[in-house]
Amino acid sequence: MDNANRPSFERDLDASLSRGREVPVVGFAERVVTAVRADRHRRKLIRWSSFATAAAACVVTILLVQSPSEETLNRQTVALVAREESTQLADLLGIVDDLSLLAPVAEKSSIVDVLATPGS
Amino acid sequence: MAQEETMLPDDEDDKRLMALVADGDDDALRLLVHRHHARLVGYLRGEVGSQATAEELAMEVFIRLHRAAGRWRPEAKLSTYIIHIARNLVLNEWRRRGRKPTTALEFAAEPGDQSQDSARRVTELDEAFQRAIAQLPPEQRTAILLVVQQELPYEDIAQIMEVPVSSVKTWIHRARSRLRELLKDFYGPA
Repeated sequence: MDNANRPSFERDLDASLSRGREVPVVGFAERVVTAVRADRHRRKLIRWSSFATAAAACVVTILLVQSPSEETLNRQTVALVAREESTQLADLLGIVDDLSLLAPVAEKSSIVDVLATPGS
Repeated sequence: MAQEETMLPDDEDDKRLMALVADGDDDALRLLVHRHHARLVGYLRGEVGSQATAEELAMEVFIRLHRAAGRWRPEAKLSTYIIHIARNLVLNEWRRRGRKPTTALEFAAEPGDQSQDSARRVTELDEAFQRAIAQLPPEQRTAILLVVQQELPYEDIAQIMEVPVSSVKTWIHRARSRLRELLKDFYGPA
C-alpha cells in the first residue's frame, strides 16, 4: 500500500473512537436503582447503628458518673471506720473525764514553791 | 426511546431531575441513568478496556451521583460532572489494583451493509487503535478520549481533569503523535 492510498489517520481515529462513544447496556438503569436502594438502606443502617452506639456510650458514661468510684468508696470506708473509732475513744475519754473529777486539786506552782523551800 | 438515547441531554432537565433525585425519587434517577449511561460506559470502556469493569465503575458513578445529589450545585453541566466522577474512579481503580487498562477489548464491529472484508478491516483497525490507546500515558489517554470520542470542548476537559486548557491541548497533541507512531504499520511513519 503506498502513501497516497493509506487511509487518513485522523479520519480512522475519529471513526474508531466514535464507534465506542455510546455503549448502551440493557437494563442498566434498573440495576443502578436496585444498587442505589441497597446503598441507601445500608447507609441508613450505619446511621442508626452509630446513633445506637453513641446513645449506649452516653448511658454507660452517665452510669459511671453516678456510681461512686473506688476512691470514693475507700474514702467512705475510712470515714466510717474513723467515726467508729472516734465513738470508742469518746466513750473511753468520757471515763477519763469522770476520773479527772477525782484528781487532787493542786496548783503546779505551789508544789514547786514547797519543794524549793529549804528545810521543808 | 431510541430517539431519547440519541438526543443530547438537556441541561435544564438534568437540573430538575437531580433535584428530584435528591428528594429520593427513583424514577428521576432511572431517567438520568437512562440518559447518561451509554456515553459513560463508552468513556469508561475506552479508559479501562473492559466492558465488565466499565459497567462496574459506571454503577459506582451513579451511586456517588445519587449520594451527592443533595449537595450538587449546577455550576457545570451534569454530563461533565459525571465524567469527572468517573475519571476519579478510574484513577482510584488503577492505584488500588496497580494495573493499567487491558489491551484486549471485546470489540463488537457493526458490519451493517459493508462487505465481510471491510468489516474485518474495521475490526482489525479498531483493535489496533484500542491497543495503541491503552499504551498511552493516563493523562493523554483521558484527553484524547474526551476530545475525540466524547467530543467535549477543551474547557470541559480542563474542568474534568482539573488542569489548565493549555495542558489539555499539549496532552492531546502528544497523544496524536504517539498514536501515529504506535500505528505506523497502518499509516507509515509520521
